[in-house]
Amino acid sequence: MFDSEVLLPDLWDILGAVPVTLTMALAIFVLSTIVGSLFAMVEYRRVPVLRELVVAYKVAFKGVPMVIVIFLAYYGLPPALQFLASLIGIEFNGHATPNWVTLIVALTACVSAFQAEVVKGALNSFDTGQADAAYSLGYKRSQLFRRVMLPQVIVAAIPDLANSFMVIMKALSLGFAIEVVDIFAQSQLTAALNFYYLEAFLIAVVIYMVIAYIVTHGADRVEAALRART
Amino acid sequence: MDLSIMIPELLLALPLTLAITFTAMIAGFVLALITTTFRVRRTPVVSQFADLYVSYARSVPVVLQLFVAFYGLPLVVDLFDVEDFVSPNVAAMVGLSLYHGGYLSEVLRPAYLAVERGQHDAADSLGYTFRQKILRVVGPQAVHIALPGYGNAIIYLIHNVALVMYIGAADVMATAHLVMERDYNQYQFETYLVLAAIYSLLCLVAWLVVRFFEMRNSKFALTATPAKVTMMASV
Repeated sequence: MFDSEVLLPDLWDILGAVPVTLTMALAIFVLSTIVGSLFAMVEYRRVPVLRELVVAYKVAFKGVPMVIVIFLAYYGLPPALQFLASLIGIEFNGHATPNWVTLIVALTACVSAFQAEVVKGALNSFDTGQADAAYSLGYKRSQLFRRVMLPQVIVAAIPDLANSFMVIMKALSLGFAIEVVDIFAQSQLTAALNFYYLEAFLIAVVIYMVIAYIVTHGADRVEAALRART
Repeated sequence: MDLSIMIPELLLALPLTLAITFTAMIAGFVLALITTTFRVRRTPVVSQFADLYVSYARSVPVVLQLFVAFYGLPLVVDLFDVEDFVSPNVAAMVGLSLYHGGYLSEVLRPAYLAVERGQHDAADSLGYTFRQKILRVVGPQAVHIALPGYGNAIIYLIHNVALVMYIGAADVMATAHLVMERDYNQYQFETYLVLAAIYSLLCLVAWLVVRFFEMRNSKFALTATPAKVTMMASV
């Protein structure tokens, strides 16, 4: 039942989807880190009304499975875009939105809620005594942020950021429901051609584990290198 | 779209979703205990396999794990010369148990290690066996440390049960698809909103239960070290 001869051709087939997956994951990672940092700043600075909104957002997106968010975006985003465009008077066919854009938007919305938590944790690990010291030395708020806070906060966040990158990689596998082809979807397509399902899936498993190994060890290296300097 | 018809119909499929969840919860917990024991005792060879298993459970998407269970289980069953009993439901239970066990092991191990070093040493110097040490000294404290992480693990498990429809188990999601198709796919967005509400409620209940135990347990905690919980989704 298990045929090892198809493993090699399958491997080449599935490897072809790796660059696309990594690029999409990187895009989502960057976008969600930006949005999540904004959320975290809102909570850290205790901005009145916005803070409650951020908490509500986080509760909503943590309670709902990502598949459902992806489907909601798939059916809800195009009409919403079209409606928004018509408000400002642009003729725009929302239903022509490519599926990968929908997937990126949906996953960014989900992961931002978690990314906010990561950034908040890193911000909270910052020792406020250093802020007092910087202020007493006459640092401005922006200088404090850029020269004292940022370098430490980034290093503190590295393990969690690596973890969230892997989570995004895995979350992209849900994209096959809306016809976005990543590593998992490619393994399914490959298997559908020759009916060797288990073989293709095992190759995908190996690819995912290798990527996870590289990402976590790379993050450890970077963290060790940066910690030595601070 | 008629909510008063749709919601009871979706709720009819809830028992299967809950059955898969509870099976995975219990089997996963047992698996996690075994795996964690091997990992913290550093049993040669076995602990390396346990590590490999944990990294499989944590770094491979749950959908893929479900498919591997679905296509791999018949082969395993074949090896033992048993009649093939693997249905999508069984595959979903096995796949999610494996996933949950690996994920939970990475919650339990840090909790075990987070118990103060002196407590381990004291138990060892009093001649406690590993079992006694776990049951009488380290375990009760580790439970308190592990609870927030355990709550997260349960919530992610509930989220991931939504994926079992891809291997053909007729859970709430699959029923929702049937309901949508019966209405000629007019109300997809609304149906998914209802699903989102159902899953949020399930998560809320799970969270409240774990929270109750956290509150009850807090008075048994010796040290006030809050456990570091990685707040990251798991799919």
